[in-house]
Amino acid sequence: MARAGGHGMGNPVNVGIAVQADWENREFISNISLNVRRLFDFLLRFEATTKSKLASLNEKLDILERKLEVLEVQVSSATTNPSVFN
Amino acid sequence: MAIPVEEAIAALSTFSLEDEQPDVQGLAVLLSSERYATNSPIEYSDVAAYRLSLGEDTKAINQLNTLIQEGKEMASLLYTYRSCVKALPQLPDSMKHSQADLYLETYQVLDLEMSRLREIQRWQASAASKLAADMQRFSRPERLVNGPTITHFWSMLKLLDVLVQLDHLKNAKASIPNDFSWYKRTFTQVSTQWQDTDTMREELDDLQIFLSTRWAILLNLHAEMFRTNTVEDILQVLIVFCVESLELDFALLFPERHTLLRVLPVLVVLATSSEKESESLYKRVKMNRLLNIFKRHYLILNHMGTIRAEHDDFSIRFASAMNQMIILKSSDGADNDWSRDIKGNMYDIVVEGFQLLSRWTGRIWEQCAWKFSRPCKEPPSDSQHGSTTFFDYEKVVRWNYTGEERRALLELIGYIKSIGLMMQRCDTLVSEALWETIHMEVQDFVQDKLDTMLRTTFRKKKDLSRILSDMRTLSADWMANTSKGDPEHNSLETEEMRQSTFYPRPVAPTAAQIHCLQFLICELVSGGNMRKPGGLFGNSGSGIPVEDLKQLETFFYKLSFFLHILDYTATIGTLTDLGFLWFREFYLESSRVIQFPIECSLPWMLVEHVTETQDAGLLESVLIPFDLYNDSAQHALTCLKQRFLYDEIEAEVDLSFDLLVEKLNEIIFTYYKSCAASTLLDSSFTYLCDDGEKYFVKPLRFDAIFKLRRVMVLGRTIDLRSLITQRMNKLFRENIDFLLERFESGDLCGVVELQQLLDILELTHQSISKFLELDSYSLMLSEMQENLSLVSYSSRISSQIWNEMQTDFLPNFILCNTTQRFVRSLKGTHHSSQRSSASTGKAYFYCGSHDLTMAYQGISGLYRDFFGIPHMFAVVKLLGSRSLPGIIRALLDHISSKITAMVPKITALQEALPKSIGLLSFDGGIAGCQKIVHEILTWEAKSEVKTEVLHDLKEIGSALYWMSLLDIVLRQIDTTQFMQSAPWLGLIPGNDGQVKHAYSDNTPFTTLLSAATNAVASSPACPNPSSFLVMAKQAEAASDLVEISTGLLYKSNLNSGSVLEYALAFTSAALDRHYSKWSATPKTGFIDITTSKDFYRVFSGLQYSYLEESINPSRKQEMLGDSVAWAGCTIMYLLGQQQHFELFDFSYQFLNVAEVENATVSLYQYSDRNKSPNFLQGYEGILEAMRKARRLNNHVFSMLRARCPLEDKIACAIKPSGAPLHRMKFTNTVSAFETLPQRAT
Repeated sequence: MARAGGHGMGNPVNVGIAVQADWENREFISNISLNVRRLFDFLLRFEATTKSKLASLNEKLDILERKLEVLEVQVSSATTNPSVFN
Repeated sequence: MAIPVEEAIAALSTFSLEDEQPDVQGLAVLLSSERYATNSPIEYSDVAAYRLSLGEDTKAINQLNTLIQEGKEMASLLYTYRSCVKALPQLPDSMKHSQADLYLETYQVLDLEMSRLREIQRWQASAASKLAADMQRFSRPERLVNGPTITHFWSMLKLLDVLVQLDHLKNAKASIPNDFSWYKRTFTQVSTQWQDTDTMREELDDLQIFLSTRWAILLNLHAEMFRTNTVEDILQVLIVFCVESLELDFALLFPERHTLLRVLPVLVVLATSSEKESESLYKRVKMNRLLNIFKRHYLILNHMGTIRAEHDDFSIRFASAMNQMIILKSSDGADNDWSRDIKGNMYDIVVEGFQLLSRWTGRIWEQCAWKFSRPCKEPPSDSQHGSTTFFDYEKVVRWNYTGEERRALLELIGYIKSIGLMMQRCDTLVSEALWETIHMEVQDFVQDKLDTMLRTTFRKKKDLSRILSDMRTLSADWMANTSKGDPEHNSLETEEMRQSTFYPRPVAPTAAQIHCLQFLICELVSGGNMRKPGGLFGNSGSGIPVEDLKQLETFFYKLSFFLHILDYTATIGTLTDLGFLWFREFYLESSRVIQFPIECSLPWMLVEHVTETQDAGLLESVLIPFDLYNDSAQHALTCLKQRFLYDEIEAEVDLSFDLLVEKLNEIIFTYYKSCAASTLLDSSFTYLCDDGEKYFVKPLRFDAIFKLRRVMVLGRTIDLRSLITQRMNKLFRENIDFLLERFESGDLCGVVELQQLLDILELTHQSISKFLELDSYSLMLSEMQENLSLVSYSSRISSQIWNEMQTDFLPNFILCNTTQRFVRSLKGTHHSSQRSSASTGKAYFYCGSHDLTMAYQGISGLYRDFFGIPHMFAVVKLLGSRSLPGIIRALLDHISSKITAMVPKITALQEALPKSIGLLSFDGGIAGCQKIVHEILTWEAKSEVKTEVLHDLKEIGSALYWMSLLDIVLRQIDTTQFMQSAPWLGLIPGNDGQVKHAYSDNTPFTTLLSAATNAVASSPACPNPSSFLVMAKQAEAASDLVEISTGLLYKSNLNSGSVLEYALAFTSAALDRHYSKWSATPKTGFIDITTSKDFYRVFSGLQYSYLEESINPSRKQEMLGDSVAWAGCTIMYLLGQQQHFELFDFSYQFLNVAEVENATVSLYQYSDRNKSPNFLQGYEGILEAMRKARRLNNHVFSMLRARCPLEDKIACAIKPSGAPLHRMKFTNTVSAFETLPQRAT
């Protein structure tokens, strides 16, 4: 049975050439978009790992800070009673 | 830029993005746009370029798609609708006059909501008419326009689905009619002042009918469709399409399958509205086929084995495919076939992954629906939940999942999330390969397969071959096929040349291309007539050979997969979205509550399941449920677009995360504590124990949890590790505080238990410190003991110990010299009854598990009723060298003050004695002696003073004995320490029991140090010997220092003074002050044997009367124990009255008399043994007591002579002239002891 619309492609060669050009253009676009995505992906991972590293740094600082606090208290207990050391 | 993009991007991979964090969470953030390849991003406007006369069809598709989009928004509006009426205020009576204002305000509020409902009503009417019109247009038998395409089918089905859902939602919302009736009431009130309200009223009535009619939307659709009776054809086509798609599992993604499942019954109902039509339908589709589609096993539990195997298998294969991709990427210029194989393999794996994910997520949906439709009959009658009423939601969720089912669900969610994460991770790595593979598949088909078909099967069929060449034209990429520059000449090429000639181009076909290809294939196989019996590819009427049909069919289905694979990220997002598990709007409405408690929430139930079962295999999945929250929050914001839902989710997440962290901490702490307690338990004991296994702890691993520095929850990044550390620090402090409080509320005997528990805690700290950076244990301990200050010598423990000693131990405990123990005297009831009963803390504050706690309580129970050497060890260990001197000092002060307090009482007793006391006469025998002693001791009037003195003596004795225990313990500790350090210092035992040096110049310790430095310096691997030489020299110098310091530290300990000796010297000095009162200097210059002024006389009397009373059964005399003798003897010894006492003591004399008498009696007995000896009758008791007392006194005196020799002093007590000097001035005075720290007051 004939296709209902019956129009078909007006000029298959023209369409073929356009399709061919389209494939090539899209290769360029895909390439760019893929690389943009890779860049983006990298940024995401970079952020994630950096956060981890910062967190571990923060942990170390935190410990130091608390140790320092204890030491400060101890020192202040000593300096407020100077008589003990004379 | 001079640098190519690829190179720049590749350079990024040189960054080290290593991360310790394990993947125990799914994708927490997804960035996906609304429009992706599956839904042509440019609305199929490029379809026109292919000149296939699909303009009408495309327009219709776009129109339907817009409607679907709108419909979804309507559905979310309806779904999230919550009743306003409940929030409407009532006016108090006093404000009735402003009722009209309230009506107006209410009307305005409700009007806004109702206008939305009106919008839905209007929209559904227009959507139904448009859908009906669309169906009619494309189902005309004469086919004026091309179409409908497959995409068009899908749009129709999806719109139908939206309408069905909307209708269901409308039916389910009971609050809408309710709100509406309020609205109508306020409208009648408000509208009285308005003019021309007829149209509004009409509209209102319309809306009322719409809202109150069940299935109003579908009824309307039905009416629209059958207005012109021509749609049943397309309905049948759609039904066949649905059935075939479901049977062949054509839909890659579960949402599509579910759409089909939802729509199919409605379609069948619509298509069978008359007898004739249903007959024609069932002719095409048998009833059984329809029924079979809906038969399934819905419980995940039944599929878990398969799922687990699938997961394991897939994840291994996916990882290996990934590795190959990475290898491929790193090897440039790889040969074509190999790279194509790897990429093809990758593509297959990705498709398989999508299928797996789709199947699994679909199962969760289905199980969820299954559970909703089958509420549990009877919620378990939990004793904790007294209330007998349950929400419906609890029946379908909370009590509807068994433990096993929860486990299975959690496991499956974990699989879905982890596979999703794994696939998403390599998004950019695989996309090129996927594009290339898809490109190749398409090109292979249109260039190769179609070519073959064109040359064989379709050569004669003009129409069909035109379709085939159209397919080639619109999708062939000839440039990619290097050997075929020109399509016109391709028929001349030979088979061999066509092989292996594709140049892979990493570009995928567009949505429009796929759309058109699918359309053309359909055209080809159906010949444009879809009403033919059989399925799409099932009919053989088209005259196409079976092999070609098969190829076309395969390619047709592949095409529909392509789009989903191209939408890699979006597809993963859809397939791993499990947010629906949280939503419960329907039940909120039916239960008339604002929100359910957290226990009813499925994600939290899963978290709870993990924390309660503490299944080692599930622990690492404990964060997976938070992905559900992430998903549901995402859904609330992007799909439902409702802020309030997000707020509710956020509130629940906040709560549940806090709870989780707390529970997690408890689990971790309990686990390590149990381990510590189990380690410290005597292993030989547990080995012998019948049920010793219960003291072993099942191993758990928390490594993964400890490494979580960034947990993604609702867009926030949470450092779980630091949270755990923080709370762990807090928990340790709480625990120390708890133990101290417990000790403070008990008596001194609890010190062993305290030490045990603190030891366990310390070991716990050690093992947790391997993973977490906790505060140091000693600092925490001193912080909780409140002796962080450098100048404070007291602590909570030391002040508690002293407090206990002063108020309880010294007055109420009595000494048993033989067992070296103090026990509580009968009368000395403990004041514990007034104390706050020890708060029963949580199990993890003791030993973790219940069994271990019981075991330790059993052990410490042995030490609870006395105070002895073990307790002293505990005291020394707990107080340490820092707080111990404080206690000693306090105790010495106590002795000194007791002595001072005793002075006037002793004087009073002395005054009651006769001026001179002679020796007891042997004449009267025992009875006579007793009589004389009674005459001498006329203290009846002063019995109170006597008792007080005895008590004072008892306290002094106890304190002294305590010191001697302390001395023993310190000696033992020192010796142990010395034994351990001696080999390092090169000390060996000499012949005469003296310590001597084994090596003349160096100790083994320094030798070891220098050997180590030499070895390092001389090693060839040593990179920089000169710096090591410097280090070696430094080490030598340091070791010299070490030698000196160790010598000082450890050797000196050996000769350090004894605490007991110190205490005795101190007591002696304290006594010196009262010397004149207790020791009468004889006027004659010689020893006065009759004086009653000396202390020993008083003590002698006290001892005698005490002994007498102690054997008297009629008078229940308070037992004072052996410490009285200790105090008395010590004082006498230090006053230099030991010999006096031994000569003149009443009891001793009494014993002498008894001995003599006994000897006489036994002589007498010897001659007449038949007569029973009754001379001593009545005196055995007292004599025995006296002997005992003498033995004890002798023991004390001998100890004193050993520890505090007075010989030299006695020797000095003879003047050079030969005249005795009765008392030398001692060099030690109280002021000599000022070096001991003063007790903080």
